[in-house]
Amino acid sequence: MHETDIHDLSDDADYAAASKQFECLGGEVKGYWFRGSSSVTRSDSSKKSSSSDPEDAQIVYLKDNVTIHPTQYATERISGRLKLIKQGSSLYMTWIPYKGQSSNPRLSEKDKNLYTIRAVPFSDIQSIRRHTPTIGWQYVIVVLSSGLAFPPLYFYSGGVREFLATVKQHVLIVRSSEDANVFLVNNFQDPLQRTLSSLELPRSLANGTPSSSFRGSPSDNNNQERLDTVTTSEDNHSGSGQLNIRQRQKTHDPARDLSIQVLEKFSLVTRFARETTSQLFRDNLVDGHGHGQSQSQSQSQSQSQGERRRNNWASKDHQPLEMAPIDDPIVPKLVPVPSDPIEFDKLSLVWGKPRQHPLGVEEWSSFLDYEGRIMDPDALKKRIFYGGVEHNLRKEVWAFLLGYYSYDSTYAERQYVVSVKTAEYMTIKNQWQSISPEQAKRFTKFRERRGLIEKDVVRTDRSLSFYEGDDNPNVRLLHDILLTYSFYNFDLGYCQGMSDLLSPILFIMQDESEAFWCFVSLMERLGPNFNRDQNGMHSQLFALSKLVELLDSPLHNYFKQNDCLNYFFCFRWILIQFKRQVEFEYDKTLRLWEVLWTHYLSEHLHLYVCIAILKRHRGKIMGEEMDFDTLLKFINELSGQIELDPVLRDAEALCVCAGENGAASIPPGTPPALPIPEASIYQQQDDEVL
Amino acid sequence: MASRRRMLLKVIILGDSGVGKTSLMNQYVNRKFSNQYKATIGADFLTKEIQFEDRLFTLQIWDTAGQERFQSLGVAFYRGADCCVLVHDVNVMKSFESLSNWREEFLIQASPSDPENFPFVVLGNKIDVDGGNSRVVSEKKAKAWCASKGNIPYFETSAKEGFNVEAAFECIAKNALKNEPEEEMYIPDTIDVARERQQKSSGCEC
Ligand SMILES: Nc1nc2c(ncn2[C@@H]2O[C@H](COP(=O)(O)OP(=O)(O)O)[C@@H](O)[C@H]2O)c(=O)[nH]1
Ligand SMILES: [Mg+2]
Repeated sequence: MHETDIHDLSDDADYAAASKQFECLGGEVKGYWFRGSSSVTRSDSSKKSSSSDPEDAQIVYLKDNVTIHPTQYATERISGRLKLIKQGSSLYMTWIPYKGQSSNPRLSEKDKNLYTIRAVPFSDIQSIRRHTPTIGWQYVIVVLSSGLAFPPLYFYSGGVREFLATVKQHVLIVRSSEDANVFLVNNFQDPLQRTLSSLELPRSLANGTPSSSFRGSPSDNNNQERLDTVTTSEDNHSGSGQLNIRQRQKTHDPARDLSIQVLEKFSLVTRFARETTSQLFRDNLVDGHGHGQSQSQSQSQSQSQGERRRNNWASKDHQPLEMAPIDDPIVPKLVPVPSDPIEFDKLSLVWGKPRQHPLGVEEWSSFLDYEGRIMDPDALKKRIFYGGVEHNLRKEVWAFLLGYYSYDSTYAERQYVVSVKTAEYMTIKNQWQSISPEQAKRFTKFRERRGLIEKDVVRTDRSLSFYEGDDNPNVRLLHDILLTYSFYNFDLGYCQGMSDLLSPILFIMQDESEAFWCFVSLMERLGPNFNRDQNGMHSQLFALSKLVELLDSPLHNYFKQNDCLNYFFCFRWILIQFKRQVEFEYDKTLRLWEVLWTHYLSEHLHLYVCIAILKRHRGKIMGEEMDFDTLLKFINELSGQIELDPVLRDAEALCVCAGENGAASIPPGTPPALPIPEASIYQQQDDEVL
Repeated sequence: MASRRRMLLKVIILGDSGVGKTSLMNQYVNRKFSNQYKATIGADFLTKEIQFEDRLFTLQIWDTAGQERFQSLGVAFYRGADCCVLVHDVNVMKSFESLSNWREEFLIQASPSDPENFPFVVLGNKIDVDGGNSRVVSEKKAKAWCASKGNIPYFETSAKEGFNVEAAFECIAKNALKNEPEEEMYIPDTIDVARERQQKSSGCEC
């Protein structure tokens, strides 16, 4: 076996052990290699693969009871046999579900066929992600070069190590430098490129939502063809089987039907988007927010302010506001830009409803009953979604939006919560306050954390009078709350960006303990963004790319051609929720956040905000042929030319427009959605499948 | 496009959070120091036009977040770098000890064609602090490390006072420039090597 040092996986204890074990087993393994096995050539092979030269096919790995979990229901699991087949110099992987094994009548053979993996050559595989959770089964996720991934394969009888060891013997695999559990396959051509494309994967899925798999849309015909091979079979060629399963699952579990062919949905997208758009457009006409003039008319001097703004967004070659580069002496060369698919017949873009004035004290009290309960939380959220909250009310309302107060609590109950939580806060704070200098000397992790926090709080919003000046007590509070949080959630600890999220909360709450608990609630939602593996961020960037593909395919294609599909240029927007973007000043940030926190329409409105901003600049981005660097710089420096309200209206419209397809583009557990509790998946373990 | 690429020198600044990367970059490009820089989130860059032997170049200086957690972002930003600047704070031992890690991480993620000869420059920053009394990383120690990594040039700087920043970046630019033509020469080589490996590995039968 040839190995070069970059392919050496021996640093992985598991891996080394596995290889050894495999070598010891050598004889035995050969024992079950058999040539021209009927199962290989007859029932398992696809029309494309090994059948041409059956003499040559060898099964080099075989594992029974490898199972997929299409939904979280134990009865809907499908078990099968996983094989690695060597033919010539190529290695193929197959996974064939057992016939008639299921006791579940709802699980038809058609459904099984949908998931069958028929002889996928390793040349089509981009990476294998290994998961060895301490509780539950080990599983792997196989990701194809196209970015599509098969559902997680659970090894009920163990064998992940041998599987990888076998793969390693036949195919070049390299451990990813970013994640020791990811093995890159065929990584020889351009390691960098490969790693980059691996970033397009929905990491969060890979990391703990075994009940579903996410499939992107095919990027070319080849993929389509290969997918067909994978998903259809002799007795089920129609898409109807797929449609079937999708509809059925939707009725019983709408949130989780990602496991089915999202791919298929994407093919419907263009038409869908058009129909929705025209529908919305008509609606808008009816309630008076749309306008039916032709483009030339609408550009006339008589148009209203609102119309003019809308039009700026609508016509990509008419964007005076964006066309003024601040200190760029070179006049940008403009190339023709493909039109925005959501522009409906060139007339107008769909806009969300007009924004309202912020929620005031009087109206607020109308939402409360005589004991202080919020009678209709949904109505409240909707109200805040469309208008935000007056500043002096924020302290009270944010506590609800963030989940520190529950909506059905009374005044008295809230008072009680505050006193209990304050005491609890002090207890946690005391944990680090009681660390003596002697102890700290021997507590590197603590010193490092404290050092990071000290460095960051003094660079957080210091231009705000609340935080300005030497020895500012509020800066001290930021420090104390963050350090206390890093004890409250020791595993997550402190990460850059957290101080940016805490600063507005402390500014509003003006109380150490309340700010802490509100921050805790926010971090429940955004914590995965700060994880060591950056899971939350990757899944959001992935979702963003899918949404842009859905809502603006020309822009998507542009990003694709220009190596911008990783969407890293939106990293800062997402990590600190647009806070640093100069286009949103502090007050605007507060407004935007409270709107996002309502989770009205979508938990992921922030992604639609990203798209709304990108779309406003799509003409410039494509017209000036921005490359990745230029785009990043452009986005980092977007200056205060955009108003918040129009962006929010755009985001609302885009969210409505994307509808279910939009929701399906976002992997489950993507922040700020609460992570899917892994435990619940295993609780439903069904003994009969074990 | 190709000619533009040649004129552009890409430099990456790496080092622990708070060592002064953003301040150094701003001191060099804008000749100013501010206590108000925010912690860097994601990545950003500044550019500066420089002249060298009658030719004009654009120095593109990339500044990234210093926390290890964000290292997975590097892939997107390190690509095509011509020189890598490693910064530590002479008053913080840990920041010096991290240099090896930053260097390795860079080489892995940027995967330059000739890692052995890829140009690095090391800066020991914040020498102004406390009149040098709180210093824990001596010049000797830093230089010894640089020598052990293939004679990396070393500069002691103060972004706050602008001390030695210009000289350091001049050296950085020169090194970046040296790297530039080589990069193009080595590309075909890499592919050949890769092909060979592929054949070897697929020809392997156990
Ligand atoms: N005294 C002193 N402080 C510095 C120097 N360079 C940076 N700083 C301060 O160190 C802190 C971190 O600097 P910054 O440039 O943001 O570090 P980065 O995280 O590496 O980008 C800030 O408070 C700076 O004002 C320096 O040369 N001398
Ligand atoms: Mg910085």
